Amino acid sequence: MTELEAPKLADLDEGRASAIARRLARYGITLSNAWYELRKSRTASIGLVMLVLLFGACLATPWIATQSPVKQNYRERLQPPSEQHLLGTDRMGRDIYSRLLWGGRRLVAIALLAVAFGLAIGIPYGVLSGYYGGAADTVAMRIVDGLLAFPGLLLYLLIVTLAREWKLEGIYNDLILVFALGFAFMPEVARLSRGSVLAEKQKEYVEASRAVGDGSLSIALRQILPNIISPLIVNATVRLGYVILIVAALSFLGLGTPPPTPDWGSDLSAARDYMETAPLIAAFPGLAICYTVLAFNLFGDGLRDILDPRLAER
Amino acid sequence: MLAYVIRRIAYLVPVLLVLTIVVFTFVELLPGNIIDTLIGTEGNDDPEVRKILEKEYGLDQPIYVRYAKWLYRAVQGDFGNSLVTRRPVALELLSGIPATVYLAIVGISLSMLIAVPLGTIAAVRRNTPVDYTAQVSSLIGISIPEFWFAILCVLFFSLYLGWLPSSGYASPFDDFWGSLKFLILPAAAVGFRQAAYTTRLTRSSMLDEMNKEYVDTARSLGLSERKVIFKYTLRNAMIPTITISGLQLANLLGGTVVLESIFAWPGIGRAIFEAILQRDYPLVQAGVLVLGVIVVIMNLLVDLTYRYLNPRVKLG
Repeated sequence: MTELEAPKLADLDEGRASAIARRLARYGITLSNAWYELRKSRTASIGLVMLVLLFGACLATPWIATQSPVKQNYRERLQPPSEQHLLGTDRMGRDIYSRLLWGGRRLVAIALLAVAFGLAIGIPYGVLSGYYGGAADTVAMRIVDGLLAFPGLLLYLLIVTLAREWKLEGIYNDLILVFALGFAFMPEVARLSRGSVLAEKQKEYVEASRAVGDGSLSIALRQILPNIISPLIVNATVRLGYVILIVAALSFLGLGTPPPTPDWGSDLSAARDYMETAPLIAAFPGLAICYTVLAFNLFGDGLRDILDPRLAER
Repeated sequence: MLAYVIRRIAYLVPVLLVLTIVVFTFVELLPGNIIDTLIGTEGNDDPEVRKILEKEYGLDQPIYVRYAKWLYRAVQGDFGNSLVTRRPVALELLSGIPATVYLAIVGISLSMLIAVPLGTIAAVRRNTPVDYTAQVSSLIGISIPEFWFAILCVLFFSLYLGWLPSSGYASPFDDFWGSLKFLILPAAAVGFRQAAYTTRLTRSSMLDEMNKEYVDTARSLGLSERKVIFKYTLRNAMIPTITISGLQLANLLGGTVVLESIFAWPGIGRAIFEAILQRDYPLVQAGVLVLGVIVVIMNLLVDLTYRYLNPRVKLG
């Protein structure tokens, strides 16, 4: 490095540092604006508080869980809530409180990954299909229609069954679940983003970018995409709740994670046999599912009102 | 309209193709094949025998030929035999359809009975405690997992009060009143969740209608509020509600897998679920396909009805 170059480099670093600082400041402003907007909707604020508690519990699980979620203790089976076991114990003497925490952590992680995956494949699919139009668009949308024709749980059942037959275990089993849930979310995302692109395509700013000489792909992804993001955010939030219901239903049916792993759905299913003697065991995982899904639904509903003021009237 | 109907029917072809390809690929992706199952039961793994069997079942042909042959037979209703009962799969599925349809129709009707009045009142009395109660309870309704709600119902009405059986089924054609007591809990579980959706929908489409100009015109002509609401807005607001309920009915036919297995309801959803547990894949394949086709056709019918009821919608 010659002496001539050194000051230049320092300049560059300084320039970069101030650029980063400016960007951070902008994020800060965006964030505080977002919070200000959020407080306008009571639903969204309640949902947000519930979500913060939920994510907090998920992140802090290793520290706030009091016992091992899988340690069995047959001398303390089906105990009512006590100081030692905050929510009591299940049929194998495992601590329900700790199982709920660990199960929730896994469930929320799966849901987040699945929805992210669905967005990651659905958005480019829909945006490109809507932007290019023509025969490619027709074919792409017929595929989406075909995938949407699977009612309820059936598409998941097929994929989960394949995972079972190939004897996928542990992390691979979770990954295939993420794949199935994300894949099933893709058609909806694709349709939604395609619709918004069709609407946006007519607008002047797209015309302007084209006049300046931007390529189609760059216009589709860099100009149009940021403008259609808000309905997608709302949809993804509500979908998170739905995904959690699906995962719980699959493991309730015994097609999710195999037993020793803490899981709200399969814990609930196991608790059915003790419903008469210890109804509380079946209550806690159910309440946990409700709380989580409700949190996402409230937040999504509120977001919709904020992001789409036309609907806020309702 | 006729041209539109024809075009919509033509659209069905690619959709059904995707559906059949997915279902066909599912069985193709399973490890091993039918020969393994057959040889497994006979106990002699001889390469010669395997070859003959492969030829017999057409497994030596390329995948697209097999797909075409399978599709050709499936169109004629021949889905092969169940690996468990050895009866034709089509028969097994057919026997599950009445129970599923019965549950879905009663469940949807129940949900409409609750949701339409509730949604209407919420819209008319907007931003009052009645409205908030309706909104909060429907939000909670869509957040409760249906299997948990079902379990709670069983716990309370069957185990605690002992009023209703916790599971089982009787055909309404054999013994109508007797079948009702089996029906109540599953139908309530189906209806409860649907009602939550439909309430939200009715409320928002009522609000949409009430903001329209014809409502003001009707009011200014001196029509009573009751008449404005019941004769005009509600009627228009019902169009989207009925449409969505039709779509949900289609979805319910395949979506009651969980409830059918909780209540031991001998429907098509439970048949598919049990087939999965018993590794009876021809049945799974055919079941998913049949439900998918039903959904596609129902969607078409609902869509056409919607256009018919609401001619302002552009035919596009």
